[in-house]
Amino acid sequence: MNKPIEIAIEDIDLGTPAALSDSTVTVHIDGQAVEVPAGTSVMRAASLAGTQIPKLCATDSLDAFGSCRLCLVEIEGRKGTPASCTTPCQEGMSVKTQTPRLDKLRKGVMELYISDHPLDCLTCSANGDCELQDMAGVVGLRSVRYEEGSNHLEAGKDNSNPYFSFDASKCIVCSRCVRACSEVQGTFALTIAARGFESKVSPSEENAFLDSECVSCGACVQACPTATLQEKQVIDLGVPTRKVKTTCAYCGVGCSFVAELRGDELVRMVPDKQGGANAGHSCVKGRFAWGYATHSDRITRPLVRETTDSEWREVDWPEAIAFAADRFKAIQQQHGVDALGGITSSRCTNEEVYVVQKMVRAALRTNNVDTCARVCHSPTGYGLKQTFGTSAGTQDFASVQQADVIMVIGANPTDAHPVFGSRMKRRLREGAKLIVIDPRSIDLVQSPHIKATEHLQLQPGTNVAVVNALAHVIATEGWIDEAFVQERCDVASFNAWRRFITLAENSPENLAEISGVPAEMIRPAAATYAKAGNGAIYYGLGVTEHSQGSTMVMAMANLAMATGNIGRNGVGVNPLRGQNNVQGACDMGSFPHEFSGYRHVSDETVREQFTALWGVDLREEPGMRIPNMLDAAVSGQFRGMYIQGEDIAQSDPNSQHVADALSAMDCVVVQDLFLNETSKFAHVFLPGTSFLEKDGTFTNAERRINRVRPVVPPASGLAEWEVTCALSKAMGYSMDYANASEIMDEIAALTPTFAGVSFDLLDELGSIQWPCNEQAPEGTPIMHAQRFVRGEGQFITTPYVPTDERSTRKFPLLLTTGRILSQYNVGAQTRRTNNTVWHAEDILEIHEADAELRGVSDGDWIEVASRAGSTRMRAHISDDIPAGVVYTTFHHPVSGTNVITTDNSDWATNCPEYKVTAVEIRPSSAIAVGV
Amino acid sequence: MTLDYNQQHLIKMANQIAGNMPTRENVPAQIVQHMAQFWTPPMRADLKKIAENKAESLSDEVLAALALQD
Repeated sequence: MNKPIEIAIEDIDLGTPAALSDSTVTVHIDGQAVEVPAGTSVMRAASLAGTQIPKLCATDSLDAFGSCRLCLVEIEGRKGTPASCTTPCQEGMSVKTQTPRLDKLRKGVMELYISDHPLDCLTCSANGDCELQDMAGVVGLRSVRYEEGSNHLEAGKDNSNPYFSFDASKCIVCSRCVRACSEVQGTFALTIAARGFESKVSPSEENAFLDSECVSCGACVQACPTATLQEKQVIDLGVPTRKVKTTCAYCGVGCSFVAELRGDELVRMVPDKQGGANAGHSCVKGRFAWGYATHSDRITRPLVRETTDSEWREVDWPEAIAFAADRFKAIQQQHGVDALGGITSSRCTNEEVYVVQKMVRAALRTNNVDTCARVCHSPTGYGLKQTFGTSAGTQDFASVQQADVIMVIGANPTDAHPVFGSRMKRRLREGAKLIVIDPRSIDLVQSPHIKATEHLQLQPGTNVAVVNALAHVIATEGWIDEAFVQERCDVASFNAWRRFITLAENSPENLAEISGVPAEMIRPAAATYAKAGNGAIYYGLGVTEHSQGSTMVMAMANLAMATGNIGRNGVGVNPLRGQNNVQGACDMGSFPHEFSGYRHVSDETVREQFTALWGVDLREEPGMRIPNMLDAAVSGQFRGMYIQGEDIAQSDPNSQHVADALSAMDCVVVQDLFLNETSKFAHVFLPGTSFLEKDGTFTNAERRINRVRPVVPPASGLAEWEVTCALSKAMGYSMDYANASEIMDEIAALTPTFAGVSFDLLDELGSIQWPCNEQAPEGTPIMHAQRFVRGEGQFITTPYVPTDERSTRKFPLLLTTGRILSQYNVGAQTRRTNNTVWHAEDILEIHEADAELRGVSDGDWIEVASRAGSTRMRAHISDDIPAGVVYTTFHHPVSGTNVITTDNSDWATNCPEYKVTAVEIRPSSAIAVGV
Repeated sequence: MTLDYNQQHLIKMANQIAGNMPTRENVPAQIVQHMAQFWTPPMRADLKKIAENKAESLSDEVLAALALQD
């Protein structure tokens, strides 16, 4: 393993946020001239000039508040001593930050603070990491003159949250936590209750933190200048002593973090202010839910067994590799090379994914390689390539700050992409309009200071009908951006699309009965988007995981092109990727028909490039997708599989079919952290590495390539790519890399969009959004700015075709599935953390009318049955979903939600139709008596 | 001819592709192109066998597409 890279982290708090003005002013701070953007605070200007003005209530992630009175300054020509945090710079202003008068005032202020603060610095858990302590030193406070009187020293602690503690006795009521909850996170769970001496921080009107609306993002903990709000890990272990910059391994936001350690023990994860994706914010998973990495369930030694009903046998690496290679070779000899295949994981680094797909193509000599994006965003790949020319979101996350109208389709950002959700909420609070297209009333529809302009609560499976209706209104009302279309798009395809979309069959009146959305809601929504100025579309798996997932992606692309909402800040079509490296796993050539950079295997020129560098002939025909491999296994044609970091037995639809397929194979190799559901069918288990042990890169939903740096050594002794290379060598094809950086160099050499990417450049720039090449040496935040990747934007007609999965008398309800904030996918990671306090089991949400009809009460155990199977879980009566629709999550194997999902899939990509399953619900009591 | 799971799925996939092709002009040619891009040769061969023995399970457009491959 490489030596962990420790980075000198510049973490100077400039006190107030940056001003965004293009004009500048020059001020003099203690005689030193400094030029700053107009609107910059005196505090920030001083900091930029190298002078840190004492402060307590100010921090550069929050708007100035002006309450602590420690940052007072003198300004020439002005009376008094204004607070530097709330005073904007003006041209020619002359400021003094250090005078005897200011010293006296500051010392007096600090004396008052300290008079009501425990004097336990030496034993305080924040000793050495406390701004109050620092400021007492800065102002030279040596004693407190006040005699003991009324104080808050006996105020109690709230330890209800599993990750942080609230010690009211140490609170100075600076409101940083309250403002962080409001401004950064946008939850407004905290407030200052009462007035004057009685003032105190209060979660949701005097609740304990755990019982409040708090979402445990930790922004309050990060903002707290004292030991009042502090991570329990810091209290238990002490203040960290070293830092490593890395990237979160949960959702597709890909937050940058500073891992803070004592030796090799991780103490806390602090979101990186310089992080391009998250700008210093995080969610409960990224900041706190990393304990799974050292969970006792971790398997760190390779395991093998002859048959799946025999006991696992712990072996060393060489024996495990030889065992797997021998089995794979035997399968090849008996059944041919196409009887084998592999699956790459979006939880792994680009480098790890790249070597797996290379091993499959070069060592196993087949194109039977696929990735877990098959079951989430493969329609994005297909749809955006057809229309725009490449499989990629068009914007960076920061772009949302300039959107005038935000259309959220089939996504739930506050739960599934929470840090981006907070960015979005900030823009919505600033006045951007919001259109939500979703069967469920997600949090964004109505939350503090946010209310959707339109919520189109459609029937599951009718996305295309709704977007066609929106486009019909735009086209027939004359709201097309004709100039954009003429200049940027293929006009013949546009004309064909216009003829199609203006047909009466696509009118909102005609489609209302299908979608359940009245025409009188569609028409204003179309006007809102078309006349937006900047209209931005954000979408998730509620778009892609349908039988028309690919059609829907193309329908959204049509809508954006028709209204000119492509190619600048504030607009675009943006997939919110489910896992941390969905984008990267797709970029790396994980699909069976494509090499890295989305180039088809039949392209002879491309194939020759790979052949030349890899030194092996490559197949020109596409390989099998995951569902094809599983089908072929059941039929006896497909016999062995290498599964990198994916639990297909739990995550893929129609679990019984998956189990049948895995059971039919002669050799299943699982590379993972835990003995997951899939490993029950495995013959070889190769221990994987957690994100804290990985060295490589992740690419997030905005195409941002971030470095993942090893924080601790691999628990198994080997990096995952080293294990893959060892198996490849045992199969007769050597892949020799000294480190992960060399793998990226090979990726760059073979992939035009990554041509300029290297670990050195990533260290220099922090992150890079592809394409990064000669034309864009520092990356590309906004795509299709001058021209589309494919040249001209291609309109594609998108007829609505209903799914085969329909409600019937036997299965009258439509089940749709999703994710909850505290849990992540199949829960392999989050179930092994304290996040289970928020979500210990999957729950079925059901409308009151449907529940009453079936005699189901809130909290009842119920049976959920579909034509694929049945499972049990508890019911929660909710008005978030309409009658006729039920909803659940898929985080827990015990409920096995995918036992009931079917093998229906997207017509173009085979992405499963998780979002529509016809089901019936029965109370468990009815099952018991055979009703 | 009794159809196994794999064959049933191929039939469903093929008919679904035919029904969802964006333009209704020359659908068989579009199906051929799609299958060449995304289906393995054995999958295409298997579908052809199904067409020979169980043609009624496939849409006319799929059958026309398979004829084009000859």
